[in-house]
Amino acid sequence: MTDALAIHGLTKSFGGKFAVDDLSLTVRAGELFALLGPNGAGKTTTLRMVAGLLKPDAGQIEVFGHDALADPAAAKRLIAWAPDEPMLYDRLTPLEYLEFVAGLWGVEPRVAMPKAEELLRWLGLWDNRGERCEGFSRGMKQKTALAGALIHDPQLLILDEPLTGLDAAVARQVKDLLQARVKAGATVILTTHILEVAERMADRIGIIQRGRLVAEGTLAELRARTGEGQATLEDMFLELTGDGEDGRLGPRLEGVPG
Amino acid sequence: MIAPAGSTLWLLRHELRLTWRGIIERRRGRGRFARLWVTVALPLILMLLAGVPLAFVLRHVREIPINPLASLIGVAIVAVAFTLMLSQTLAAAVDALYERADLDLLFSSPMAPRRVLAVRFLAVSFSVFAFFGMILGPILLPIAVMGHPSWLAALLVLFCVALAASGAGLLLAAGLFRVIGPRRTRTLGQVLAAILGAAFFLIAQARNILGGAKTAGLAAVVVQLAKDPRFQAVPGLSWPLRALLGEPLPLLAAIGLGGGVFLIANQILGARFAADAAAAAGAGVGGKVSKSFGRLQFSADAFAATFLKEIRLIARDPALIAQVLLRVLYMLPVGFVILRQAGQAQTLALPGSAAALSLMAGQVAGSLAWITISAEDAPDLLSCAPTPTRTLRRAKLAAAVAPVAVMLAPVILPLAVLAPWAAFSAALGCTASVAMAAMMNVWWQRPGKRSEFRRRRSASWMVTMAELLLGFLIAASTGLFAAGLIGWSVLPAVLALVGVLLLSRSDAQIARSLRAAS
Repeated sequence: MTDALAIHGLTKSFGGKFAVDDLSLTVRAGELFALLGPNGAGKTTTLRMVAGLLKPDAGQIEVFGHDALADPAAAKRLIAWAPDEPMLYDRLTPLEYLEFVAGLWGVEPRVAMPKAEELLRWLGLWDNRGERCEGFSRGMKQKTALAGALIHDPQLLILDEPLTGLDAAVARQVKDLLQARVKAGATVILTTHILEVAERMADRIGIIQRGRLVAEGTLAELRARTGEGQATLEDMFLELTGDGEDGRLGPRLEGVPG
Repeated sequence: MIAPAGSTLWLLRHELRLTWRGIIERRRGRGRFARLWVTVALPLILMLLAGVPLAFVLRHVREIPINPLASLIGVAIVAVAFTLMLSQTLAAAVDALYERADLDLLFSSPMAPRRVLAVRFLAVSFSVFAFFGMILGPILLPIAVMGHPSWLAALLVLFCVALAASGAGLLLAAGLFRVIGPRRTRTLGQVLAAILGAAFFLIAQARNILGGAKTAGLAAVVVQLAKDPRFQAVPGLSWPLRALLGEPLPLLAAIGLGGGVFLIANQILGARFAADAAAAAGAGVGGKVSKSFGRLQFSADAFAATFLKEIRLIARDPALIAQVLLRVLYMLPVGFVILRQAGQAQTLALPGSAAALSLMAGQVAGSLAWITISAEDAPDLLSCAPTPTRTLRRAKLAAAVAPVAVMLAPVILPLAVLAPWAAFSAALGCTASVAMAAMMNVWWQRPGKRSEFRRRRSASWMVTMAELLLGFLIAASTGLFAAGLIGWSVLPAVLALVGVLLLSRSDAQIARSLRAAS
């Protein structure tokens, strides 16, 4: 079976500093893959290159067998990218936004119209379909952007911090939606700082640091690698990213003024 | 003097610092050169070119005669200044309601909202006065030094006018808020500000709009009125002029009136306006229901989808509508001249009007192209779509050009019947001007925000000047072509073409500069 995403030797530097350094990574079709790493590890840069928003200095990106660098349009047709800051137009309504995004991806109206209604109803935005996004809460904006990402039925859904700033109810809704997409056969890649979410939802986890992959596998595989049978993902993450021994926060908290 | 933190004076100093930085950025962009230009170079140029020559001319004039005509001129000066200032203070009042910026921070502090707003409006008064003061000051200073020191009082009168305009702006914005509600106030306030700003231009152009005979009649009435003894007896008619010239009593009256209007408006409306500002944050903008253009038209065509999106965003941007409306208002006299001259088979003014039309069409198209090309709200969304950049760009340019075509049609179409050659020339010139402005915005695009629309020209001085120069060359070519001087029209056209070719950039160059800017 073709991998959903295959990255080989991906490299990107800004002003001589490597944001992504010879990164190789594979995401299998139909899985939910969590890409974790400390701040500035290169997660977003990696995903922006996969989405076609940044040009790598070196390396290869394949999306379902399509060379994303040689034929970006073919890869983009299969991908949806949802960053942490929703890509919205304040003065458009959710329905108009979906109409626009569907046009960009060339979705036929007979497919797009019912799909837009289905998505907005499912996300609880149908009653707000005629209101401009400028007055929406962060959660509503995030859901609208998510609906936009799903309108063309992407095979590979890439989400950068999709749960940031969402309340519990909306976060639950988003998580359910992602799991439903995976059940329906789509592939989801997400980055998150909420490690419990990755622990509970992800089929496989990749951890990167300073632009390099330091670990990849299922939770069990990661536990086996770190040699800690009952360790939480947080413990493993801190150990793998070099914050291990002194990263257990206990000693550090001693110096924090209370 | 150091004002204690949290005091009114301290807040005023903070507001004035922000206002000053805003003035510098608006004029010339950031940096030392900008400050030097605003504080030294511009005043010096004005002083040398206007102030000193005027001072020499006026040095032997002992005093200005206070007669009805001079008094009327004094009234007109104050009225023009008040109207222009009101346009700015109304826009500032609307901004205070909707462009939240730091207002939420100030309202959440222990300072009384009423005091916060009073200080903000005082800063607005300083800001509108600064614009006039920077022009008038360097002219008045040599005149004062060379024999008329009391004329410096004109600056004080202008500040009083700014205070009164500030109070009136507050009053108008609060009134609109009450009458038509928060949703419509934003649009109507900005449109009203634009109309007020152009009002005196339109009055000055009354002759072009109404025609010579009607305005001659109007002028005769004004002259007759000035001679009428009853009119001469109108109390206080000469006071604005006397105040401008520094007579103590009228000057005190001006201070009392300006300060009074400001204080009363703030006293009566301050608390209400603060409540309105808070209400605007919640109900004013949020939940605004939009009627879609026609029905929703899902389309698999990226060009159609992008075009429709851009048109919707243009139509829903009150600040942009106000700016475009302003340019349309400036276009009006030209449109009237061109049609009347054509209707009366007088071809003398036709070429000039056709040239002016092409210049203004280019200006409007340039503004709209900046909005659609550079001020894209979701550039990443477009970048990760499988649609070619060229398709998106074409759709965006089409959306920028379409409103210009709609605005020009009421002039060009009747003209095609009345004077076909002039219509053809104007259409050709407008097309060239619009195409030039649109392409300049593509080649030299620089990502910005819609809210930066008013300051878009400070992004690149060179491109702004080039765009203006090319617009003038195209306009000159249009005028000569319309006058039948086809051979002569080639020269500016070729120069414009060379300029356009020199400024053109490849897709790779554009992408490189966008990458560097991001």
